[in-house]
Amino acid sequence: MGAVRIRRAALALLALALVYGVAAEVAHGRLPTRVWMGAHFVEDVQLLPTYGSLAEEGAFLVESRILPDSIVVSSRRVLEGLLLGSIAGILLGLATGWAASVQYLADPWVTFFRFTPALALLPLFVVWFGYGESSKVLLIAAGVAVITLLGAHQGVRRVPRVYLDAAAALGAGPGLRFRKIVLPLAFPSIFASVRIAAGLAWVTIVVAELIDARMPSLGYLLALSGAYPRVPTMLIAIATVGALVLAFDLAALLLHARATRWMRRSA
Amino acid sequence: MKSIFNQRSLLWLASLLALIGAYTAIASAAARPDLIPPSQDIAEAFSALVSGPSAKPAPGEMPAAEMSGHAHHHHGRSTDQVDTLLQAGVTLQASLGVSTLRVLFGLAVGLPLGILFGLWMGWSRRADDYLHPIYVLVRSVPPLALITYIMLWLGHSEAHRLIPIVYAVAVTAVIPTYHGVRDLAAKYLVAARSLGARGSLLLNKVILPAAGPAVLGGLRYSIAIAWMTAVGAEMLMADDGMGNLLVGGGMWASRLQTRSDPAVIIVGVIALAAAGWAMDAVAQAATARLTRWVR
Amino acid sequence: MSGAPPILEATGVAYSYPGATPTRALEGLNLAVAENEFLAVLGPVGCGKTTLLRIFAGFLRPAAGTVRCAAASIDGPGWQRGYVLQEEAIFPWMSVRDNVEFGLLAKRLDPQARRAIGDDLLRLIGLSSFESAWPRELSAGMSKMVEVARVLATDPAILLLDEPFGALDAQTRARMQDALARLWEQRRKTVVFVTHDAEEALYLADRIVVLSPRPGKIKAEFAVDIPRPRSLDSRFSPAFLDLKRKVWEATGAG
Repeated sequence: MGAVRIRRAALALLALALVYGVAAEVAHGRLPTRVWMGAHFVEDVQLLPTYGSLAEEGAFLVESRILPDSIVVSSRRVLEGLLLGSIAGILLGLATGWAASVQYLADPWVTFFRFTPALALLPLFVVWFGYGESSKVLLIAAGVAVITLLGAHQGVRRVPRVYLDAAAALGAGPGLRFRKIVLPLAFPSIFASVRIAAGLAWVTIVVAELIDARMPSLGYLLALSGAYPRVPTMLIAIATVGALVLAFDLAALLLHARATRWMRRSA
Repeated sequence: MKSIFNQRSLLWLASLLALIGAYTAIASAAARPDLIPPSQDIAEAFSALVSGPSAKPAPGEMPAAEMSGHAHHHHGRSTDQVDTLLQAGVTLQASLGVSTLRVLFGLAVGLPLGILFGLWMGWSRRADDYLHPIYVLVRSVPPLALITYIMLWLGHSEAHRLIPIVYAVAVTAVIPTYHGVRDLAAKYLVAARSLGARGSLLLNKVILPAAGPAVLGGLRYSIAIAWMTAVGAEMLMADDGMGNLLVGGGMWASRLQTRSDPAVIIVGVIALAAAGWAMDAVAQAATARLTRWVR
Repeated sequence: MSGAPPILEATGVAYSYPGATPTRALEGLNLAVAENEFLAVLGPVGCGKTTLLRIFAGFLRPAAGTVRCAAASIDGPGWQRGYVLQEEAIFPWMSVRDNVEFGLLAKRLDPQARRAIGDDLLRLIGLSSFESAWPRELSAGMSKMVEVARVLATDPAILLLDEPFGALDAQTRARMQDALARLWEQRRKTVVFVTHDAEEALYLADRIVVLSPRPGKIKAEFAVDIPRPRSLDSRFSPAFLDLKRKVWEATGAG
């Protein structure tokens, strides 16, 4: 990343922060503070909270451990769902990609679930697994599994035949061909799908937690702050989710760099 | 070629029937109709939701149902969720129609926005340096998380359901466009500019066709995201649409009170899968037609 | 050397590619190209030939020194300096004819005028029967000829060709070299032709400059006095072979 690019990026972000700050200060006292909540009016609502009130609220949320606890709970659910779903999806995807017979068997199921938004299954999962951890984690896992299944499947299918033929000509059996040729070459596609799935996992968990709101979780924080409403908390919750999504994505990128280095060494 | 097609679709059909058969077997084996409804229950729920509330009884008549406490008639299944939905006048077709309209709106507004943004960022290095970090920030916020905030500004209107859909579609459309212009169109741009092409000619005859396949590839993903967001928004804050049907109708807090009927949910999920599949098929066909020139 | 001013001139040109360790692609390069001269720029991979061509084409701005085209400074790409890339850049979404006529579209010629020039060029490269074909139906050699025809359509004074035949097999390459030689003999233009193949340079050019690798500087210069029109026999004439040895020595020693 050149110095120019970093400078421009910093400038853009700074400009954004400045615009918000100015807008909030200007709006303070000018925007309506009375909001219609569907059944009644609520007073004293800051539609654009200033940095001051955001900082104040943020400090409170951190000190009272509401925010850290919520972060831990939501992140844990996402991680568990991501892990579970990725393993299941990747294994299934590798199987359907490698063995054509398995593919034809699994195709209708995959097609069916591919076009079902994971969120649509939430009520079903709640019926089956009750309101609690498992329904949410399994919901995320289901959504993740579909995406990683496709990623693994395509990764295997896209391995150029030439490499497999060359390996077979050298006497490598199917097991060796799979481990040493298919897996490394399918890795980028698999990894890309895990990254996409991670983003989707966050979308799913936020809504799942919004609907089945139980303390502590980020979704619940969002719901609660929406019910009163307390806008500074709402914006902090939204920003926290955004920051976590970014953090996960960055972690994924780092992992990818690490993993490909390892692969190149052992290849 | 034709024989292969038939063979594959036969296999596919066989697998589909196997799927239905397997489900029926599991359902009867589990013998828990409240958790895994047998296929018949699903069919009944389907017919109930499709036919909707039947006509009111003629004046003077006193149907037994009314006396037993049910304030409406319908054919087929009667459960908490079905009743609540029908009481609100919800039918499967109407819900699917409304959701489809929302998705189409989101695509119609979000795709051009995202594509324009991606074109700008892909074309100008300078714009890319400034805008990319902002894009990354914007992309990180799940659109549905914004729904309560938007509601404060715009009240309980259609806008606060549609805005997250537009937002999600736009954000998704940026990256394939960006990649298409920067990576795929680059060499064609050099050739075209050396031939004196500029401005709108460059855009219409070079950039858009070159980036086209990448953009169209991302279209299918945008469709999936649009459905996901629409259903989510409806589950949270709507009294129509598929999301509302799945959650059982009622407003906000009362949604948790309605006891969910798995048969209704399965009907809803199947309907959503069918709609999503149909849109995807159209997108695939359109893509194939528009990119016949690709090697 | 004739008294006419050079149509292309690079004086003290330097260029570096940014990055963690910047690569000095060109340094202190002086080159003058006479009008209607066929100049070959010869050198190994990575010696800055493409960079020089891109600077002449107007896509890169030199970090030091000046480049001038007909005594005016070069401010960006333009049809007067037609550029054919090394990579395949035929527009796959347009037919062969539309490709060839694209520059004319940019010049806002009316359809009849475009058609006439298009006909002429398609005949010139021998692809008249392929006018409605999609690029994906063409071989690599044919694609390249379409690109050359495309750039000729606007009738630029200068042609900048970056290893256009590099991706072709030996026989096709020889045929393409012949076709280009014939084309040039019929419509004289200033050509700057980049290649790493000494034989190709000798066959096509009036003058060869040899570039040394990083940083790119002119190492040697040869006037090619082989009589035109050149043919297969020319490739085996004593003068040709003699020059070839000299050029090889100039490039090889490094």
